[in-house]
Amino acid sequence: MSLLSLKNISFSYGKKIILNDITYDFEAGKMYCITGKSGAGKTTLLSILSGLAAPGSGSIFYKDEDIAKIDKYKFRSKYMGVIFQSFNLITKFTALENVMLSMDIAGVKDKQRAKKAAELLAEVGLDSDEANRRVLMLSGGQQQRVAIARALSYNPDIILADEPTGNLDTETQAEIMEIFRRLADNGKCVILVSHSPQVAKMCDECYQLQAQKKG
Amino acid sequence: MYIFKNALRCISRSKGRNILIGIIVLVIAVSACIGLSIRQAAENARKETLDGMSVTATISFDRQSAMSNMTPPTQGGDMSSPPEFDRSQFAEMMGSSSALTLEEYETYAKAQTVKDFYYSLSVSLDGDDNLLPVSSEDTQTEDDTENNKGGFGGMMPGGMGGFDRVMGAQSDFTVVGYSSETAMTDFINGTASVTTGEVFAEGTKDYECIISEELATYNNLSVGDSITVINPNSETESYILTVTGFYTDTTANENSFSMMGMTSNDPANKIYMSYNALQAMVEASEGVSETKTDEDTGREFETALTGTLSATYSFADVEGFEQFESDVREMGLDESYTVSSTDITAFENSLTPLTTLSKTAGYFLIVILIIGAVILVVLNIFSVRERKYEIGVLTAMGMKKTKVAMQFMAEIFMVTLVSVIIGAAVGAVASVPVANTLLENQTTAKEQQFQNMEQGFGRGDKGETGMPGNMGGMPQGGFMKDFIGNPTEYITEINSATDVTVLLQMLGIAVLLTLIAGMASMLFIMRYEPLRILSNRD
Repeated sequence: MSLLSLKNISFSYGKKIILNDITYDFEAGKMYCITGKSGAGKTTLLSILSGLAAPGSGSIFYKDEDIAKIDKYKFRSKYMGVIFQSFNLITKFTALENVMLSMDIAGVKDKQRAKKAAELLAEVGLDSDEANRRVLMLSGGQQQRVAIARALSYNPDIILADEPTGNLDTETQAEIMEIFRRLADNGKCVILVSHSPQVAKMCDECYQLQAQKKG
Repeated sequence: MYIFKNALRCISRSKGRNILIGIIVLVIAVSACIGLSIRQAAENARKETLDGMSVTATISFDRQSAMSNMTPPTQGGDMSSPPEFDRSQFAEMMGSSSALTLEEYETYAKAQTVKDFYYSLSVSLDGDDNLLPVSSEDTQTEDDTENNKGGFGGMMPGGMGGFDRVMGAQSDFTVVGYSSETAMTDFINGTASVTTGEVFAEGTKDYECIISEELATYNNLSVGDSITVINPNSETESYILTVTGFYTDTTANENSFSMMGMTSNDPANKIYMSYNALQAMVEASEGVSETKTDEDTGREFETALTGTLSATYSFADVEGFEQFESDVREMGLDESYTVSSTDITAFENSLTPLTTLSKTAGYFLIVILIIGAVILVVLNIFSVRERKYEIGVLTAMGMKKTKVAMQFMAEIFMVTLVSVIIGAAVGAVASVPVANTLLENQTTAKEQQFQNMEQGFGRGDKGETGMPGNMGGMPQGGFMKDFIGNPTEYITEINSATDVTVLLQMLGIAVLLTLIAGMASMLFIMRYEPLRILSNRD
């Protein structure tokens, strides 16, 4: 059974068609890569998948339920973990506070939230000193790890990541991809948006987006 | 709950901005606290004094009302000239219906709220050759005395001869008969006191009296001596009074001495006795009354002594007085009579500078709040725009816009609340000296205004303003006894102004400012779309 299904998704900016009639199924326990040239609509598709944008036509089903009928804030805060290309962390907060805030928004009632957040950060490779540092004081790779920990903090079924290795060195890229692999192996549906062939190679399935001609 | 924790975190991480907002709110809060405290001080002064104030009231005839209610005379053919005022009708009305009888006064005294009731009768009398009134003139001739007998009638254009008959001819002395010692308010409040001998027995019908020390000295009189007073309308009608004591009156001064040229108005020429004794004298006079014709006007009049009866009602509080007003109307008191209280009028006058200051403080408060609110709104709009990215991230993470707005509002509220608390503390300390300084300026301005007015009327060179200028330091609430019957004494000092009411109002201001500033930021937050914010950022 598919966890997330796209049915005839189309999207356009004015007359420019970005996505045209996409139908695709994403399953749990697999790592997907959405590839394509610049302007092919990778980030637009990710926005639609995360509920930040609505498709021009077509529907998205989460566990067979149309997400248009699900509260978009609830969908974003509970079911979908999004890792943005530029991380989008609250810069004045520490890494730990960013993760805990995400848990708060998702309504996680765990009294051990601080401990759990620290464990998550440790899992993605940040020690307690780094965890208690403001995110602006962290490197790009560390910020990416915070973003991953934040996305995992409320245990969503789907992890969406936009160019997760774009700003990272090769060694860190490998470590990050290892984390995603581990998540997929643990039953999460990991959807990566990337134009990197190395990333595509490490995924179970790839979906190639073609740039659309002007309508 | 996390919204508040988050708000606290945001405040602590953006110190510069929040300190700036805090300082602005602090200035608003201090100004508002001073303004509110002044208003509250005025209100407290009014309330506390009125609460503990024993009010007295009198019923008096409203002459102006009576004039306007008179039957309009038939107008002649010349429509351009105003109708002629019917003086005889007016004099008749004044004589027949203006004065309430003792029975009527006593009826109204039965009103539920009346705590005490007393009355006095004033009669004008002349002295014999051995009893001359204290006068500013070196010698008083027989002619002077005769001229005085003309009273109001002689002074008024057209000769309103009816007045002197009604009110008693203006003569050498005013003899006042009191129903009880309570009625002798000058002696009760300390402006007058018996210095030699003793006061006549309360309620006595004997012709006993007390006279002023000045009058005694002027006529070489001693306690126990007898004096003879004469009916000004009938020289053959005289009464012998026994002097039981002398009194001094601190209100006797040059102004009253020469007032209207009537010696009987001089406090030194007032003779006090029991109401019963004076009433007996009036009744005796009625027994020997004759009908005479006024040489000037040709009108007939009775020679019997006539007096002016005045009654005073005492109440436990202002509410009692207000209830009395409506009660006596229900009991049948005509609209031609007014119920008034000099205590309340004097009290209201004493509050004038404070009330003026309170009004000014009110306007100042409104201006401060408007300016403050505008500044806060502008600062908040800038703040929201500056934090646009943060809003985008929070909403992208699934935080509802309303919760984001609530967090922003909580931040403003916390900063505002802390500033308002500090501002209230500073304002509470500053309000008393600031209010007193402003109050002093107000009082000085009032006195200056009065002095200018006095000078305008050519009285300024005497250096008497009629208002005491050294009333400073008078604590709130402790002054009522001092100004009964005296010139207006202003409240020039307040002790404490910031109370629970002010603090609650300050809290209200904090909430109001938060709501106004928060609403502005909420409008922006609700318009923001996370995708657009984050895309632009990317």
